[in-house]
Amino acid sequence: VNATLEALLASRVHADGRALRRTTLCHTHLAEDPLAVVVWRLGGERFRASAIAWGSVGGDYQIAVAGEPRNRDLYFGALLPFAEALCERVAASTGAYEERASPRSERVDRIPTGAQQLVVANRTTVEALALIGRYLGYLSDRSGVVPDPRLLEAGRHLRFYTRRTRVVGQSLLVPLDRFVAQHWATLLSPVEQANLASLDAQIEPHPGMHAFESSASAEATMVVGPEPTEELDRIAMTLLQDFNAARGRSTDIAVVEPLTAPIKAHYRALVDRDWDLIARVVERERGLTEAPSVARRWEDDRRALGRHLEWVVTRGGRYRTLDTPQQAAMTLRSLEEAKRRYEAECAIDDPALMIGSLLDGDALRGQVVEVDDSHTITNPSGRNVRRARLRLRSDDPVVAPEGKRLWWTSTAHDDPWAVIDVHQERTAFVVELQLTAATRANRLPAVGERITMSIHHTGRDAWPMPLPSDPPWTHMPAGAAPIIDAIDAGDTESETAPVLSDAVPNPETLS
Amino acid sequence: VARVSARRADLDPSLERIRGGAPAANPNVRRLAGFASVHECPTAAVAFAARVDTNRALKGTPYQMPFGQSPFAIGRGYAFEKLLRQHGHAELRAVLREGTGFDFSTAAVHNLRDGFPLSTPGRTMRAQVTRDQLRQVVTHPDELAIVDGAILPREIGGVRVDFEADELAIGIEGAVLVGENKSWPVVDGRPADPDALGSALDQSATYVLLAREIVADEGLDPSLVSGDALLITPRNTGLSPVLHRQNVESRVSRIERLLEGVPQVGDITRSVPVDVTFERVADMNLEADARIDAFADLTDQVGRRYEAGSCLTSCGFAWACRACEFADAAPSLAGERAARAVPSIDRLDRVAQLGAGAPPTAGEAPVAQELARAGRLVDEVFVAPPRRRRSA
Repeated sequence: VNATLEALLASRVHADGRALRRTTLCHTHLAEDPLAVVVWRLGGERFRASAIAWGSVGGDYQIAVAGEPRNRDLYFGALLPFAEALCERVAASTGAYEERASPRSERVDRIPTGAQQLVVANRTTVEALALIGRYLGYLSDRSGVVPDPRLLEAGRHLRFYTRRTRVVGQSLLVPLDRFVAQHWATLLSPVEQANLASLDAQIEPHPGMHAFESSASAEATMVVGPEPTEELDRIAMTLLQDFNAARGRSTDIAVVEPLTAPIKAHYRALVDRDWDLIARVVERERGLTEAPSVARRWEDDRRALGRHLEWVVTRGGRYRTLDTPQQAAMTLRSLEEAKRRYEAECAIDDPALMIGSLLDGDALRGQVVEVDDSHTITNPSGRNVRRARLRLRSDDPVVAPEGKRLWWTSTAHDDPWAVIDVHQERTAFVVELQLTAATRANRLPAVGERITMSIHHTGRDAWPMPLPSDPPWTHMPAGAAPIIDAIDAGDTESETAPVLSDAVPNPETLS
Repeated sequence: VARVSARRADLDPSLERIRGGAPAANPNVRRLAGFASVHECPTAAVAFAARVDTNRALKGTPYQMPFGQSPFAIGRGYAFEKLLRQHGHAELRAVLREGTGFDFSTAAVHNLRDGFPLSTPGRTMRAQVTRDQLRQVVTHPDELAIVDGAILPREIGGVRVDFEADELAIGIEGAVLVGENKSWPVVDGRPADPDALGSALDQSATYVLLAREIVADEGLDPSLVSGDALLITPRNTGLSPVLHRQNVESRVSRIERLLEGVPQVGDITRSVPVDVTFERVADMNLEADARIDAFADLTDQVGRRYEAGSCLTSCGFAWACRACEFADAAPSLAGERAARAVPSIDRLDRVAQLGAGAPPTAGEAPVAQELARAGRLVDEVFVAPPRRRRSA
């Protein structure tokens, strides 16, 4: 995003006392019935949720609290309802399948007509779910007990969903902090935008308060999961100690379940606030019209989910935990392409998002003063071909080197124009461009029309060349090839005792 | 000489006056890392030199930031350290053998955490043992040894600080290797928390630098202290340790520059106006508004440099500075990038005026044209009637 534009928007937020929309359209698909998930963890415990809540956005939620999440039996017992609900909702959401030719190969993709969308408060929750998914999706038969298959399947779904968030513009798993920050200009720095409560407070400040004061107050008073503060974990510590003392070593659900009530109450109080916040944010964003290109990206999401379900549910497959060098290279390329295409589509769909490109010199806007559709050139093979030329008058400064390729926003999926010349006439700049493809009526703007030309195009870049199946040694890992690996070997270890910060001496002291 | 000056600084009444009864903090490697991120801020420099605990100075006001660590996280760290040390450091020896390929089963382990008092003389003795061991091993490269809880003293800004390294694994290929234990897990070769990895490597780099200074002080070759750091973390869900070896040479250079840049206590004492003190800022008998006003006065006098990205993650004064910046309508509120885009303009309301086309002063001219254009483009989209989409 252009920094001058950021400063200008910040100045207007400061003057208005509340956040401003930075887009005119919504660039993320919001499904009819997304599944909201809220996670809370104990400090330092990355694989286990001390509480996990799920349900339809705006509706009631269910909550799973293990009491002692570091105990495998208790944890899995508590998590099972969540795993069941996730598996059921993912399976039920797909509806019918339509068959389409894959854009990448000769195979036919079975694309579900629907897909379960997950909504979480922030990117930290995505990271938390990724670790939980990695853990559950590859469980071993520890102590001779085969883990419930629904836990394994839920783990693999979580792993798929969280890895999907690497695709810029996807809507299968929506971290709301990023979503809101993309659609609103606030007085928050990028670091502060990770707090959904702060973002929300800037958009709808408390009555009589400036956006800044409102978000500062929200930041100080409301912690959004999954990471607890020291204060919250001090409370959890006391509750867990009481719980463990009361249960002895029992993991019997009938014994343990009633004992979790105080811990559940503690986490319910935290989840309630997160839940209301998520519902409020989603409801507000539904008011914005969806951008036209969202449909294409949502289809990509459904296609990816269809492949995932076919591999994991139908065939019972598992994913590698580490990419091969070939996979890594191909994945990186496809992620970069997805990002480029998303940015292009957003800028073309939404005039507010083209402003940054105009300021950066990646786009120019002006009035068409002349179109020469009979202009011919001699191509490299010696044939004379028609290549239209147009002259564009812009009131803004234009700096564009000869040969620079620009796409007219109305034909951004098509071939570009090349800059032939830029010169100044009095206060205006005149840009001459030549079409790089055959002249056709639908490729030409009308004289007098005000158009935007930019570097953004929505077509695919060149098809990727296939990579060698046998990578060179420079691209091979030093050790053995990675294997699909369970990571639960530590589950038999006993839980570590909490230690209060007051009890920690500081060895690095002054002489 | 260093020690004498350190004690003088420690007793310097000017620093006591500046601190003015605010909670004190002893510098440690974590605090140093935090200061590294904000060392260009004059207020942070004064607070660091006067050993003001920025995390606690504003206690009782809405500007105190939530610093602290979960008891579960601390407990996990303790348990991991304990695991490495139990049974004669068996796990530590095993993970060093597995990770380096050298047999540490018979290596001498000097555990400096036990048998020494926690007081200053105790740490001085530990520092001497560390120095002796470094000299011993560098001059006898065939012997493997581990110093657990090595003390590496260093003067920073005129104050002596004792840094404690988890391990100095000594004698591997005739070199000294610094080791650090962290309780966050590594899964599939990647840390579960990439930010924590960066901090751990910075910490290790600090110890590499300090060890090199000691070796050089002994008249030996400092390059015998390896630029590789050993990081010992749990693997996956449990506490089973695994060793990672990572080069931190570039971090060593950066930390060396940083330490050289820490202002001298004496210079600060001389440069700060005589009435500058954190006394009212930290006075819990005063109302929060009076304390933040005192803070604003102090930072106005000394100077303030608020950069959200670094301050909010490193300095306990960040929320207070942010409130001051809001009162001043400073562009830095929206982040460093936005602030850098309008370098000659110090108020957001002026940015808004220029964005609306107000005539600029000569100093504002370089950015005014771009701001006016941005304002016009935004107005075209959000104020003017919507255009056909093809015009974007």
